[in-house]
Amino acid sequence: MDFKDYYKTLGIERTASEEDVRKAYRKLARKYHPDVSKEPDAQARMRDINEANDVLRDKEKRAAYDALADRVAQGYGAGSDGHGNYQPPPGWDQGFEFHRGPGAGPADHAEFSEFFSSVFGKGEHRGAQSRQYRARGEDHHAAIEISVEDAIKGAEREIVLRALEVDTKGQPAYVNRTLSVKIPAGVRPGQFIRLAGQGMPGHGGEAPGDLYLEVRIAQHKLYRVEGRDLYMTLPVTPTEAALGAQVQVPTPGGGVVEVTVPPNARNGLKLRLKERGLPGKPAGHLYLLLEIALPPADSEAARQAYEQLAKAAPFNPRRHLGTSGG
Amino acid sequence: MSSHTVITVTATVVGDVYPLAAGELAHACGAEIDWVVQLVELGIVGVPEPGASPDDWRFQSADLQSALEARRLERDFGVGLDAAALILALQNEVRRLKAVLQAEGVRRS
Repeated sequence: MDFKDYYKTLGIERTASEEDVRKAYRKLARKYHPDVSKEPDAQARMRDINEANDVLRDKEKRAAYDALADRVAQGYGAGSDGHGNYQPPPGWDQGFEFHRGPGAGPADHAEFSEFFSSVFGKGEHRGAQSRQYRARGEDHHAAIEISVEDAIKGAEREIVLRALEVDTKGQPAYVNRTLSVKIPAGVRPGQFIRLAGQGMPGHGGEAPGDLYLEVRIAQHKLYRVEGRDLYMTLPVTPTEAALGAQVQVPTPGGGVVEVTVPPNARNGLKLRLKERGLPGKPAGHLYLLLEIALPPADSEAARQAYEQLAKAAPFNPRRHLGTSGG
Repeated sequence: MSSHTVITVTATVVGDVYPLAAGELAHACGAEIDWVVQLVELGIVGVPEPGASPDDWRFQSADLQSALEARRLERDFGVGLDAAALILALQNEVRRLKAVLQAEGVRRS
């Protein structure tokens, strides 16, 4: 993983004040917020900006990050695990606590980068452990991306959490915990999967917090998810649209269904396949959006057929513009 | 030096069957129950009977989503919860309208 320059992400100097950080974040958040931004990479940029802000706005995390950056600048641990991946240098983290490590590949897309995860983990400082109070551990949040098929059928995914713990010899060691998470069928984007007891350790003997995984659905080549419903573009020929047809449609749950396209179907017509969306109570629907695809006029026969159609069915689609047909 | 253990954990989906109590919602956001009471008063999260005791409130995934976003708006933009409520309402409306456009097959230019 690459070393991330959070100052560069926010466009500020290392000497920036807290107010500078706040101002830079707010300005960039307005520019890249995915709901308002026209930038093509807005979502990814917003994630980076949020991540940089989460570190630099917090005095302790910023101090740890600066110390790490210094060590990297001095050539300690600047590079590599032998595969060109960034590894934090040993011992740089004294005084801080890291819990959550890199995700487990495609099954775990935490909101923040692998770099952030391995450096800051759950973002709690070590001092928390030594506090003399009793309190349940903090909850933690991450995201998990699954396919449409997994959302429909359910799936079992493994995610890896990494904690820096002291071993029996008193030496700090990374302990990877692989969590096997059963994702129930019918889970929808934006829902949270709760893993009891997998958050921060409790203080003073109290219970640990929980881990919440926000469900995201990976982009699918055919289907788009909207709540419980799925949408799919269904291309049809002009003949099928004009005369009506029976066409075969793949369903995300597996299998193929035969769908009736009504005669004189217009472009953009929405057909509903009841309860073929995400399962649940109530189950979602699968919507098919008709898209009329023109056969190319790339042969003499095709050109003649188009000309015959024009003669047989005179039609002026621009009549409402008040112009003549030609 | 690292070791590796595999743990099987119970996963529940926050929803009708496993909703969050007010204290759990507060804890998930690093807040107190009083803060959740404010969210309910402002309509940022919904409960069927706001007049009922907070002990009886139950929250869904969408409430947790809204509460976390309100928390971030408070923290990163320094807005009051009433302004956060307005921002979230506008944000939801933008998302709803975008979804309608997409469902109608209208692509953004």
